[in-house]
Amino acid sequence: MTTTIVLQQAINGIVLGSLYVLVALGLTLIYGVLVQINFAHADFVTLGAFAAYFFMHLIGAGYFLSIGVALVLGAALGWLINASIFTPLRRKGNELLPLIATIGVSVMMQNLMLAWFGPIPYAFETPYSSQVIRFAGIFVSWQNVIIIAVSSLTIALLYAFMKFTFLGKALRAVSQDRETAGLMGINPNQLIMLTFVIASALAGMAGAMLAPVLVLTPFAGTSVIVKAFAIVIIGGFGNVEGTILAGLIVGLIESYTTQYLNPGLIDIVVFALLLLMLAIKPTGLISERREENV
Amino acid sequence: MVTRCRALFVGVAVIGYLAASQAAHAQDKTIKIGALFPISGPGSYFGAQDKQGVELALEQLNKTGVNGYKFAVQYEDSSCAPLPATQAAKRLIEQFRPDVIIGEECSDATLAVMPVIEQAKVPLLNAGSSSIKVTEPGNPWTFRIMPNEVMQGVNLAENAYKRLNARTAVLLFENTNAGIGNAQVFKDTFTKLGGQVLAEIGFGRDVNDFTAIATRVAGLSKIDVIPTYTLEGQGLKITQALAQSGVTKGGGGGTIQIGTIWLPFGFEQKAGKAALGYIRIVQFDPTETRDVVKDFTAAFKAKYNADPTHLNAHAYEQIMLIADVVKRGGKDPQSIRDGLAATKNYSGVTGSVEFDRTNQNTKMDTVHYMETKPDMSWTSLKWN
Repeated sequence: MTTTIVLQQAINGIVLGSLYVLVALGLTLIYGVLVQINFAHADFVTLGAFAAYFFMHLIGAGYFLSIGVALVLGAALGWLINASIFTPLRRKGNELLPLIATIGVSVMMQNLMLAWFGPIPYAFETPYSSQVIRFAGIFVSWQNVIIIAVSSLTIALLYAFMKFTFLGKALRAVSQDRETAGLMGINPNQLIMLTFVIASALAGMAGAMLAPVLVLTPFAGTSVIVKAFAIVIIGGFGNVEGTILAGLIVGLIESYTTQYLNPGLIDIVVFALLLLMLAIKPTGLISERREENV
Repeated sequence: MVTRCRALFVGVAVIGYLAASQAAHAQDKTIKIGALFPISGPGSYFGAQDKQGVELALEQLNKTGVNGYKFAVQYEDSSCAPLPATQAAKRLIEQFRPDVIIGEECSDATLAVMPVIEQAKVPLLNAGSSSIKVTEPGNPWTFRIMPNEVMQGVNLAENAYKRLNARTAVLLFENTNAGIGNAQVFKDTFTKLGGQVLAEIGFGRDVNDFTAIATRVAGLSKIDVIPTYTLEGQGLKITQALAQSGVTKGGGGGTIQIGTIWLPFGFEQKAGKAALGYIRIVQFDPTETRDVVKDFTAAFKAKYNADPTHLNAHAYEQIMLIADVVKRGGKDPQSIRDGLAATKNYSGVTGSVEFDRTNQNTKMDTVHYMETKPDMSWTSLKWN
């Protein structure tokens, strides 16, 4: 029984960690390239969740197609908001302006969603939410299997993109030294736009994956984003591998804290780890093995 | 003679004018009601439904007025949390100068606004907060219609033990005044009766995935009931996770999930099969045959094309009780407070109202039990 519970909580932790990683990756990408915290990221997640919900329930589309729609909508919105708000503010040369603007965008999006979707929680059921696989006393829903599979695939694709494509290498160059990258013929503004589009697409997709797990309201993303920020800090701001590792660790910590201590202590344990990391290794979990971020 | 007639005519005209203007003035008189409801955040479903109940009551009352008074409501978003609720209460008091305030729903928020409202000497009529601290030791300006956590918790534990033959329980609750208080009352009563509480699991409002909690619950020995105290969103996820882990009836297990006044009607449709057999207290039973209930249900359906929830009902009740006090002579904060305190056997849509020395409604006919049926509808259990 004890082994079963340990294994079950490990699965629960990996599922939760995968969701956190999906949300945190966008945050860390933007920070890595722009050295900017995007406070509106949570609201892109929420919008992705609602997009998937309405695409499934109003149009009757399948869940996987809905994930795709949320991804595309996130990307499009990321492009639009960056082009219309953040880029003009960055041109003014004051780095504080776009940072404050992300807070403004966040409040605006939350209230727009509140006006459109109302305050009452939505129940987002997919065909896979209630289908449960049971094996040797362990249970896992197909929804959670999909979460792990899609998260793994996304992480692998993002890693390959960053490591092996020209654009990925260019992004890493911009994150290391924007001015020098510009002198080498790379257009930093286009790559900043690309970063926003990728991060927002990831957020939209994360929303669609999270929606069946989250309490779906216009404020849904905010309940995850604080944990995502902690993960980004623990993993090392701007470090993709660190973020993945930290996300999984936080997911596992949550599961085992729930099992062996009390779920009321989750935040204390997670944020104690964050403070410990800041004190002992402020650059993050695996930053020493890498010289560059992103 | 002509002069005398003219003087008489002028006199009558002046008296007529004064009388008419007096009547018009009386009709212009307004009872100002401040409403502290959560309109944003996780408890905002309370505010949305409260507002519907209030608007229906206003529509009905303002057609004719009561004792020459009309009613006006100013809503403020108190967000189900202490700080925004306190700010909202201050805004109401300073800018709107209400004669009476209704709300909040969440106990933490209500407890935070009580000192502010008491200082302003404005009566607060509460319907949704269950924490015992709202009326114990008693605040002369705060009144509560709904049964408090002790009244609900004792009743729930007794019914679990005697009617459901429950002997073991696991408590799930959010870490707030109301959540902790409700769970503690259940535990005290249940253990005194001879039952055993196997685990007490509290959690923050930011927890989204309850699979880990359900796993822990599933790992315990045989559980008869799981009293659950949380808001609708988290409640949905808990119910689904418990079913998924095979613990509750909805997931093929034998455990019954039970609860007090936290969840709105419609919860069972959202939770789906997972909610099967869920037994919980609601503050309103639309299947009651009293005329006041039938009239309210019909009027609500006509206005909103939907069945009223218990949140709709208790918001409606707050306004109707204030109207009753105005009918009995209430016209300003002090007289409305005194009128509320003197309320005897008021019969409303949620049940009857009569306040004790702590301004707590003593009537238990406001406690209604419902159980989720296999087709996701519910049935009234008529336990009280």
